[in-house]
Amino acid sequence: MIYFRGCVARLKVKEIGDATETVLNAAGVNFEYLDEEECCGSVLLRTGYGEDAQKLMEKNIEKFKNQTILVSCGGCYRSLKMDYKEMIGAELDVIHTSQLFNELIVQGKIKLKNSREKIAYHDPCHLGRHLGEFEAPRNIIRKVGELVEMEHHHEKSRCCGSGGGVKSAYPELSGKIAREKIKEIEKTGPDLITTTCPFCKLNLSDHGLEVWDMSEFVVMFLEEDK
Amino acid sequence: MKENELKTMRSSFKIMEERRIDLIHDPRIIKLQERVKNIRKKSVKKIPAMVETARKSFKINGMEFLYAEDSHQALDLIYNLIKNEKMVAKSKSNTLNELGLSDYLNEKNIQLVETDLGDRIIQLKPDDNKPSHPIGPALHLKVDKIAEIISESLDVKVKADPRVIMELVKGNVLEELKSCKIGITGANSVAAEDGSLIMVHNEGNISLLSLMDTHIVVVGVDKLVDTIEDAISVVKLETAYATGTALSSYINVISGPSKTADIEKKLLEGMYGARKVVVILLDNGRQEALEECLWCIGCGSCIVSCPVYNVVGNEFGYRGYLGGRGVAMSRFLQDEKTSFNSGLYMCTLCGLCTLECPVGTPTSEIMEKIRKESKNTGFSPKEHYKIHKSIERKGSPF
Ligand code: SF4
Repeated sequence: MIYFRGCVARLKVKEIGDATETVLNAAGVNFEYLDEEECCGSVLLRTGYGEDAQKLMEKNIEKFKNQTILVSCGGCYRSLKMDYKEMIGAELDVIHTSQLFNELIVQGKIKLKNSREKIAYHDPCHLGRHLGEFEAPRNIIRKVGELVEMEHHHEKSRCCGSGGGVKSAYPELSGKIAREKIKEIEKTGPDLITTTCPFCKLNLSDHGLEVWDMSEFVVMFLEEDK
Repeated sequence: MKENELKTMRSSFKIMEERRIDLIHDPRIIKLQERVKNIRKKSVKKIPAMVETARKSFKINGMEFLYAEDSHQALDLIYNLIKNEKMVAKSKSNTLNELGLSDYLNEKNIQLVETDLGDRIIQLKPDDNKPSHPIGPALHLKVDKIAEIISESLDVKVKADPRVIMELVKGNVLEELKSCKIGITGANSVAAEDGSLIMVHNEGNISLLSLMDTHIVVVGVDKLVDTIEDAISVVKLETAYATGTALSSYINVISGPSKTADIEKKLLEGMYGARKVVVILLDNGRQEALEECLWCIGCGSCIVSCPVYNVVGNEFGYRGYLGGRGVAMSRFLQDEKTSFNSGLYMCTLCGLCTLECPVGTPTSEIMEKIRKESKNTGFSPKEHYKIHKSIERKGSPF
């Protein structure tokens, strides 16, 4: 299995990469990193650079060599799972960290401590609405504490404001959207806030919210001796 | 839009969402939705043929049929019909908004009476005369603000009371309508085979306009469907999604001028209603548009949930075409520069609007397609160029 961190977790929010590594090691999962990990192409696809994205994709699949690809990022998940298929006909075996962690819990390879905390979860657009993964992260949360849902959740979850190239081209707009989202999150009165996309974490924390990626959340509640 | 207007808009949106939730999940509406999806998808595939069918049917029904390739032609055609008037009346219409009719008539010194209450308020507002929702153009304004607008523009002191405001505007509009002989409206759907125009309203204003000497109807080719039955399905669904009520108070079906043959079977036109009905079918880039862009039935459901629209309002959109789908449309109604300036790159591509859209308009996919072209002609943010360069150089955007 290849752990493809994605640009945000690899370079901007490195805690996510580290936390994921900790969980994988605790569960005894074998994995490797790519020698030279590059962007998956998502950023280019979303901003109109389709041809460049395609070149990058063709280069990337050579490196994947039919292995399972583990990703942290909703954007990578969508591009590797959907766009690679649509654009270059590559059907890749992709799994998101939240899905893997959930499996590891079910198989008893990791165990989480109970807590009484109220935990909110933000569905990233790409992982949730675009590709339908809503339950794996929620199952993990329920193992720990009480899951609290926001006014808009699952497929109706509101965007954090970072996607589609908006954070780079219109940072102010991205901030306004994040602040609306933060208001909605805070209304649930959570003790902890989680999500499953480094880019969502980055934007929400840039605008003042303390939010944990599912990998960090799992590390936080990891039972040392399972 | 100002911060307080955005706040009012968001709370109006919230009320709308709550009001319609049961209705749009009603099995009958879900069934209707499937029907309308098929109608829209089928119709946009055969616009040229439908235009020809409509041309014949309208003529048979005794209406004048005109075709406008673009907005200039449409405005010329309208001007030709109204040039001898001092004042004409109109109803709420995105198509007339698209033409910029109100500015055009201003230049030509012809006064325009907005008969829709929301539109009238927006018209009287001293700045930012853009609507915030296709069906509720003034829902970003609080009643005291509206009272202020009305008081100042009509030079009266009006209480911040909805009914009082309504009565005052009604009186004012009715007074002005006395000097109008021509009414201009849009249409919500057009039945090509039947040669009928379908219009939806609650206020009754379209009925008043259709009773004037001349009724001019300007409508985009994307509104064409085969039959009255199809058209009614479309407008029923639009109403449910736009307002949360199953039906509007009025659905007018206009298939000809007012006429009688009660005396010796001799045909006389212009009994109570319009003596002359003129249909102007407008292309203005529609047939060049991506097909999915034309499925839209204009309900405004997409903007109610849009994270971008909720924080910036009508700045994200083009004229009355609000939100992402409006931005996409502006690429075809105008050009790449216009769609860039309307917010082509403001969309986060979150995809929520597609889920909320009764016909499933895939706006984020459309946006991506347009961005691809737009980048090639240079309308792309410089930050994205830098990111693309960075990925090329070192394999990551950072
Ligand atoms: S795109 Fe869909 S939701 Fe938006 S106005 Fe059109 S029909 Fe309604």
